[in-house]
Amino acid sequence: MVVSPAVNSLPTGVNYDQISAGGCNCHAAAPNAAVMVNLEGLPEEYNMSETYQVTISFTGGPSAEGNANLGGFNLWASGGEITPLDATVQSNGPSEVTHTEAGNDYTSWTVEWIAPSHGRDVDFVVHVNSVNGDGNAGPEDQWNKLTLKVAGSLGPGLEEADPYKVLATLIIISGLLLTITVLYGFYRTNPDAFNWEHLAPWLTEWLTSTDHKKIGTLYFVQGLFFLGIGGILAMMIRIQLAVPGNDFISQDEYNSFFTLHGTTMIFLAAMPLINGFANWMVPLQIGAPDLAMPRLNALSFWLQPFAALLIFTGVFTGEGADTGWTGYAPYIVTEGAHTGVTMWVAGQIMLVASSTLTGINFLTTMAVMRAEGMGWMQMPLFTWSILVANLMLFLSIPAFGVGLIQVYLDRTISTAFYDISAGGDPLLWSHLFWYFGHPEVYVVIVPAFGVISEVLATSARRSIFGYRSMVYAMAGIGVVAFIVYGHHMFTSGMSPSLRFVTMLTTMLVAVPTGIKIFNWLKTMHGGSLVYRTHTLWALGFLVTFTLGGISGMFFPSIAMDTHLHETYFVVAHFHYVLVGGTVFGFFSAIYYWYPKMTGRMLDERLGTLHFLTAFVTYNGIFWPMHKLGVVGMARRHHTYFITTDDFTNLPEWAAEWNLFISVSAFLFFFSNFIMVANMLISLVRGEKAPADPWGGWSFEWMTSSPPPTPSFDWHNPPVLKDANEHIAHEPGKLGQWFNRLMVPENHEEVSH
Amino acid sequence: MSLITPLYDSLWNEYLVWSALVALFTFGWLYHHSFFYRSKDGENPNIDNLEVGVFPAENDNLKLELAWTIVPFILIVYLTYISWAPLDNMWSAASSADGGHFGDECNYFMNESSDLYFDDDEGLKGAFKATCYHTIEITAKQWVWSFDCGTLEAELCESGFTEADGRAVPHLSLQAGNAYLAYMTSEDVTHAPWFVSLGVKEDVLPGQTTTVWILAEDVEDFLLLCTEYCGDDHAYMMAGVSIHA
Repeated sequence: MVVSPAVNSLPTGVNYDQISAGGCNCHAAAPNAAVMVNLEGLPEEYNMSETYQVTISFTGGPSAEGNANLGGFNLWASGGEITPLDATVQSNGPSEVTHTEAGNDYTSWTVEWIAPSHGRDVDFVVHVNSVNGDGNAGPEDQWNKLTLKVAGSLGPGLEEADPYKVLATLIIISGLLLTITVLYGFYRTNPDAFNWEHLAPWLTEWLTSTDHKKIGTLYFVQGLFFLGIGGILAMMIRIQLAVPGNDFISQDEYNSFFTLHGTTMIFLAAMPLINGFANWMVPLQIGAPDLAMPRLNALSFWLQPFAALLIFTGVFTGEGADTGWTGYAPYIVTEGAHTGVTMWVAGQIMLVASSTLTGINFLTTMAVMRAEGMGWMQMPLFTWSILVANLMLFLSIPAFGVGLIQVYLDRTISTAFYDISAGGDPLLWSHLFWYFGHPEVYVVIVPAFGVISEVLATSARRSIFGYRSMVYAMAGIGVVAFIVYGHHMFTSGMSPSLRFVTMLTTMLVAVPTGIKIFNWLKTMHGGSLVYRTHTLWALGFLVTFTLGGISGMFFPSIAMDTHLHETYFVVAHFHYVLVGGTVFGFFSAIYYWYPKMTGRMLDERLGTLHFLTAFVTYNGIFWPMHKLGVVGMARRHHTYFITTDDFTNLPEWAAEWNLFISVSAFLFFFSNFIMVANMLISLVRGEKAPADPWGGWSFEWMTSSPPPTPSFDWHNPPVLKDANEHIAHEPGKLGQWFNRLMVPENHEEVSH
Repeated sequence: MSLITPLYDSLWNEYLVWSALVALFTFGWLYHHSFFYRSKDGENPNIDNLEVGVFPAENDNLKLELAWTIVPFILIVYLTYISWAPLDNMWSAASSADGGHFGDECNYFMNESSDLYFDDDEGLKGAFKATCYHTIEITAKQWVWSFDCGTLEAELCESGFTEADGRAVPHLSLQAGNAYLAYMTSEDVTHAPWFVSLGVKEDVLPGQTTTVWILAEDVEDFLLLCTEYCGDDHAYMMAGVSIHA
């Protein structure tokens, strides 16, 4: 049972892990020079395996003869064994000792140090604490610290790897691999002309192109690259969590790694992947030669790599942003947050600009550049999904931009938007962030809906079931997205009536999502499903996204949310919708549109292998997390606690499942390289792709593979025919109104 | 003994049943169609005559679409309904006109007892009520909790330090069978105490007071974790909570 500490001492001594970061901060905040620390009995250079008697003592501070107690200490060495000699000292590990309750009555303690046999330099750190004997830990007590190096005959040992350096090295290696791949791609275009004279214009062409297909490819490559970087970060996180109490990375490193993992995956991987396909396919699908504003499009893209550099700047200096991707205020503006946060915020502001420009561009393109005969209600569903996503993004991201600028000013010129003592509002950031953040997660999932609608209909050789209800469901999700964000704040201290309203609206999200899932299933009815890799991914999407949707229904029930909020149940849920939804959807898109983009077919066997390995290992990662969350594993913790005798926390099997999750995570990470290899091999050796390999109906399949530039002739644009004559000639009232508003005036009735 | 709390468990079980039904229905359908309707030899491969550049023939059925709009809607109305009643219990105002779910603050001069009890009425499955409650204060700062029992007797509430996972952590000792209302505030950034075994957490904000009901029913000792990210030692910001008989 619980030991109530004796009034005047800490019988357990102090723990080095605890004080190495913050010092003995329960006894005053900073070390005090009045306390003199002595460490005697250590040689300049030790003899291997010899035993030394070491005396730790201190003078000064409030400690005085006659006090109830005098002080305490902690001695830690990087090598060898330290053993207590009497009852005043206790062992805290093989090379760490601290005082006992009896030891509180002394100012000097003696221990034995058995020098290590490896002959490397050994570091000693001693903390001592001089107390006034009033029995309370408080600022009247004083402490100090001494570090000492004892040389070994073999000099300094190998330094422990700095995880930041490991990460930076891995990022640089990934960058090099990307460069080599690009150069190899160039080499393959013309093996006889591999020289600078040819490379320079080729590079210039890529760097300055305003062609929607080239920019789409750039987005796509950036997205895949950062999917890899985000994956590396996830692997570091999983190594740390593989066993409880792991010290692979320290807590502040862990904090910046999970922050960058979230930011990278959402803003630098998912969004660019989506934008890559949107850039490629939207103009092709609506029969437009390019986007409405090609130069703006190039600007949108080129803001991204520089934003990415800013966001990662902190990592290379060892001070990566450590706020979580949500960057909650007031923590984000405190001194405790890493300096990298400022760069991270600056990078995000650039991404906000990029997204806003992209939104303007796509909405304009879709409004004015649709081919003749294509009303709003004849747009392919992928284009519709991009329309809904960009509309949501365009309307929500200004709130995020405002918040970021406030934080940036707070951090750089000391404004006080989030300074609570100056009257700042602790909840303002949460509102601004989630007003953007919730639509944002729909921005990344809705385009996947579009992809699945295209892929399933084409694979089943059917028209999509309920085209109209699909569009209305997406639009419904787009509208509801703005009024549900409060469900992220059920435990935030927000007004209960607001929490109640967002509980009702959040429940509503299930309805349009359900419509979409049932429509997809009904599309397969009576079809003739052709199994290709993209079909497998689409079916896999249906499984994982449905599971993610179901687990999402537990959160709006507030009585359960107070338990589930900020646990691994949440982590499991959003990875089921973001990986099982967005990433699987876009894997499907890669297999579906790769032949169109490159003119080469992908290898189906490698594709199937990728699906099977990735799908199984993916579920191995995230399914057990549901259970871990419910039994008490909190997210954003760099370690977790298995139940000890005194206090209940996680059961023992939680550690085993965490190891299982880590192993699955590595398998999942590496399984995706099958796809990368497949893309590279097929680019070189793949079969030539026909214009319409899968039998789709929309305009992109009309162009050659790969399409020419401009994608369609400016003077002879395609005309969409309609198999439903009556619909084409009798648009509904809303349709008539929109048509009057949007279709160019020289539009003539389509004749069949 | 319940998984978390009786209230949580009753909701969880109900949701789990409906989740299983929805999943069974959806995956059964998916499983059937993905095998039954796969392409076979000698079949017309292009059922709806999809053709490049032609918007496909419509394929819909208003009745079906309405069915899977209305049926899920009814289901979520039901799920909302069962999640609704507990809100009043969770956010029961302190000392409200009708006494609230937990009555008024206990009168210490009269030695009034809190008497936590089950109430299964009014659709409140497994909700607690109490005749009166005790108040305590929780203050958070990076990365330590402090509990203030005010004038409560040591039997009802006691704070101190204890050892958990090899480190000295704050300790809160409460008596089973009592309802406590914690007034919480933070000295620096946002934190959130998670009473893991009681299934509640609430953010602790600087410059603002939030409250949480601590309904100490079972005798147990559990860790209290911080669940709002607060910086370096976020994971170590814990406390031991003991509920004694």
